[in-house]
Amino acid sequence: MSTSGNIMKCDDYKQAIAADPAESFADGAGHVAACSSCADYKAEMLALDESIAKALSFDVSGLRMPELPELDGEDENVVNLPFKRKARITMPSWVGIAAGFALAAFLGVQFLATDITTDADKDQLLAAQVLAHLDHEPQALLPTNAVVAKERLAAVVNDDVGTMDRNIGLVTYAMSCVINGRTIPHLVIQGEKGPITLLLMPDEMVSMPVPLMGESINGVILPVGNGSIAIIGRRDERLDEIKERVMNSVEWSI
Amino acid sequence: MNNSLANVARKQRFNRVVSVLHKDLYRYATWLCRDPGIAEEVVQEALLRAWKSLDALREDDAAKPWLLTIVRRENARYFERKRLETVDIDNLTPAQSAMLAETEDPNLGVMRQAIFRLQDDYREPLVLQVLMGHSTKEIAELMGINPGAVLTRLHRARIKLKDEVAKEDAQ
Repeated sequence: MSTSGNIMKCDDYKQAIAADPAESFADGAGHVAACSSCADYKAEMLALDESIAKALSFDVSGLRMPELPELDGEDENVVNLPFKRKARITMPSWVGIAAGFALAAFLGVQFLATDITTDADKDQLLAAQVLAHLDHEPQALLPTNAVVAKERLAAVVNDDVGTMDRNIGLVTYAMSCVINGRTIPHLVIQGEKGPITLLLMPDEMVSMPVPLMGESINGVILPVGNGSIAIIGRRDERLDEIKERVMNSVEWSI
Repeated sequence: MNNSLANVARKQRFNRVVSVLHKDLYRYATWLCRDPGIAEEVVQEALLRAWKSLDALREDDAAKPWLLTIVRRENARYFERKRLETVDIDNLTPAQSAMLAETEDPNLGVMRQAIFRLQDDYREPLVLQVLMGHSTKEIAELMGINPGAVLTRLHRARIKLKDEVAKEDAQ
């Protein structure tokens, strides 16, 4: 029985110590010093944790490092970009861009094996990397109403990237991902037909809007200041309104 | 700096960053997927990805969460690619059985089986906290959930383990 005279406090303590036996939460030490029941419970949890730690740390031997490939060729594929500058995002003149880019974007992975010489080649290389990345994070595209916590969003869209206002919509997925060797925010908002992926790439320029078409997707990489933003939804999603909203909601850092 | 010198420096940095964490990355992957064989593949692939994007790691001090994130994603990719079913405790592969039976200490064996049986959502934060020494905030960031949810899962995980061990002791 608690000596503190407050059973709720004991319950709270027991819940907290079972989640964090190192007792890094506030007021824990004070409570346990005055409550023998909770002191016993803490001792029990510490013993349990010792046993858990032993069980988790199984013996590991004979691990091998992977064969590391030379990266000379891949370095040549990295587009060298100018340093960032303050860029107020404006709507690009993406309307009317030839649909011929669509197939090239979808098959863009071929460009990985060839010399990258023109802006269009670089655009297609980036398109291929964007599509490959989407393929690698299918869990991001689960329909959900769970909104990402403000703190997490701030950590992903941090000062190095820029600012993003609430008008962009409810963000249901936020992860720092790597595209073209650079860490960028990967966000998902919910569109009319399902999840819409946004990749904010402040350092990846494209020379013009690059359509991204696939069997089940409809998207585009839009040039935005000295960077670009990829917007990808379901094949039947109408992106016009979303493009405008995204463009008006994001501003790159200096 | 010419290419070969740059490569040597890059490899040295990679080895420095990875060598101290390699075993724990493997343990983390093993508890994540509950299969030592798959974990080895996952970690190998993850390290290759890390090698290719090493430049994205700005500070070596941030290597641990960076590598754990890559291993975590690689594990998800592996299961997505292979469309694997979740592991059934009653139908273990030889590698899984060997992992659980590795110890001669019966109490440790019981605990290992209990951890093995935990739901993924409970097991992962427990491994990150106890094995990897992560704070609640770090676990929340890595798993993309809020700190309150992490604490709830950790609490439930320990209560389940405590109950499982008590049940075994009673038998």
